[in-house]
Amino acid sequence: MIISLHDVNKTYPGIVPLHVLKDINLEIERGELVSIMGASGSGKSTLLNILGILDSYDSGDYVLDGLEIKNLSENRAAEIRNRKIGFVFQSFNLINYKNALENVALPLFYQGVGRRKRNALAMEQLERMGLADRAHHLPGELSGGQKQRVAIARALVTKPAIILADEPTGALDSHTSKEVMEVFRQLNADGMTVVIVTHDPGVGAATNRVIRIVDGVIDNGDV
Amino acid sequence: MKSTSIFDIENWREITATLARNKTRTFLTAFGIFWGTAMLAMLWGGSQGFKGMMYRNFDGFATNMGAVFPGTRSISYKGFNKGSWWNLTVQDIDNIRRVAPYIENSSMMYRSWVSASYADKSKSSGVLGVEDTYTKLMEPVVYEGRFINESDVRSYGKVCVIGRNMATELFGEESPVGKSVNLANVYFTVVGVAGQRGEASIMGRVDDNFFIPASTMRRAFNRGNTVDAFMYTSVRGHKPSDNEPYIRRLLSAAHSIHPDDERAVSFMDVSEMFEMANNLFLGISLLALFVGLGSLMAGVIGVGNIMWIIVKERTHEFGVRRAIGAKPADITVQVLSESVLLTLVAGIAGVCFASLVLAGADQATYTPLNGYAGFQISFTTAMIIVGAFFVLGTAAGTLPAIKAMRIKPIEALRDK
Repeated sequence: MIISLHDVNKTYPGIVPLHVLKDINLEIERGELVSIMGASGSGKSTLLNILGILDSYDSGDYVLDGLEIKNLSENRAAEIRNRKIGFVFQSFNLINYKNALENVALPLFYQGVGRRKRNALAMEQLERMGLADRAHHLPGELSGGQKQRVAIARALVTKPAIILADEPTGALDSHTSKEVMEVFRQLNADGMTVVIVTHDPGVGAATNRVIRIVDGVIDNGDV
Repeated sequence: MKSTSIFDIENWREITATLARNKTRTFLTAFGIFWGTAMLAMLWGGSQGFKGMMYRNFDGFATNMGAVFPGTRSISYKGFNKGSWWNLTVQDIDNIRRVAPYIENSSMMYRSWVSASYADKSKSSGVLGVEDTYTKLMEPVVYEGRFINESDVRSYGKVCVIGRNMATELFGEESPVGKSVNLANVYFTVVGVAGQRGEASIMGRVDDNFFIPASTMRRAFNRGNTVDAFMYTSVRGHKPSDNEPYIRRLLSAAHSIHPDDERAVSFMDVSEMFEMANNLFLGISLLALFVGLGSLMAGVIGVGNIMWIIVKERTHEFGVRRAIGAKPADITVQVLSESVLLTLVAGIAGVCFASLVLAGADQATYTPLNGYAGFQISFTTAMIIVGAFFVLGTAAGTLPAIKAMRIKPIEALRDK
């Protein structure tokens, strides 16, 4: 079991507290290709943030790759994100003044890997994404699909336990979306665990398991 | 996983790359600091230079010098009317030298206005009668030959020293030494050519006058027993004016001057004038420091301001960095290092620029006789300025850096 959530609750405090996640129980096996689907406001982004240790939860248990994720310090959280999780975002989130190679190598910089080795590993991932010839281009000089593949290369460079993708095709046209999904399927075929958050049924259909979330509750289909 | 350190070459590469990719922003920030340090250094060095220029007017001029001049009584006393003259005499000088406790060197002084001629040229000129000790009061520069010496004074020698300008007027290119010159129809042998370094003088600049022994002056120009003035320097630790009460009491008794008649005897104290000039330049230095510190503060606030904007502008980027594994400290170190590096490089450049400007000013005000005025800042001062900027630049970067550190990755990622 690579991800295991047990009775996880999350409430955003406020004048009217917002109970976004209600007793979430979720298990994802190593090597799965899963999508978490839900409408806007269903709590799927909050769930992704908790899975990605970008946000905390109020009660319950979360175990990621054997590590209990609870009351972590900022430093420890950063370290686990760096080692265990590869993020892919809707808006790519590449650093616009760094070229593709430098962007891909950046997570390794925060691991303290030397420049030469960093660039070699980053180049390896870019080759895997078929972008070796774009290594020295700035993000502004790349197409949407290329940017997303650079972002995927960055997610892969630390050899993480899991890839978390937040609407990875949200900013792409349907043709490019298919290409990107094909990349995820290929990664999964190579043994990588991939979790994709989306509201696009087409994306959901391209995964092996769909977890639906409605109003902060996981819908097991037995409603 | 190691944490980012200030001394990590990888980290510096990351920082220089960031700075290099944002050229306009980097340049504008750097320019603020560059100008701040340059202003501070130039103002400081400039005030030192003006001080030097001022002081070199006093070069070769004893700053602990005082003088006594005779005058008119302002109170009628013992049958002498108010307004009547009294004369300083040779006996007075002997008595003053014996009684006044804080006199180190002294010379009696005479001054006459004569017609000086050599060959077919003639010129009206001042003649100063002095004792050999005059050289201890004024330190004249002797260009050729020698100055009046003790034996000249003792033997009533008909010798003279000619001021440099006067020598050029009367002798042209010719060397005056050994020639005879006619001063008010008395022939004097020129023994030396002299001048002075600074501009300050009492009773006339060395360059524009003739000097003859005081004894010769009395005898040749029928001065009898009188003396025109008496110049002296005070001993170390005392001001020239410390001698005044002794001299005043002595002269009052000898010349029937009312003891309360302050105006009958004129005193001059160079040290007081010097002190005034000193205070003036202390004021100028303080002003320079004040203005310089102001520009320094403006520069530092500029850095803080720009770092603040940079942090706001890069919130999203920091969020991405945090998401992919940057620790809060990594972000802080990055922001701080950027401001520190900018401050250091621009600060050093500013000091170097100021040094060049000051060196130019120093060259421009150089004179062979007086040397450099001292438009300079010492290496220590330069280091203090750079050091201050370093510390303040770091301080200015701290608030934005802390702000950057507090950014939560999810909030930052939402910020587009």
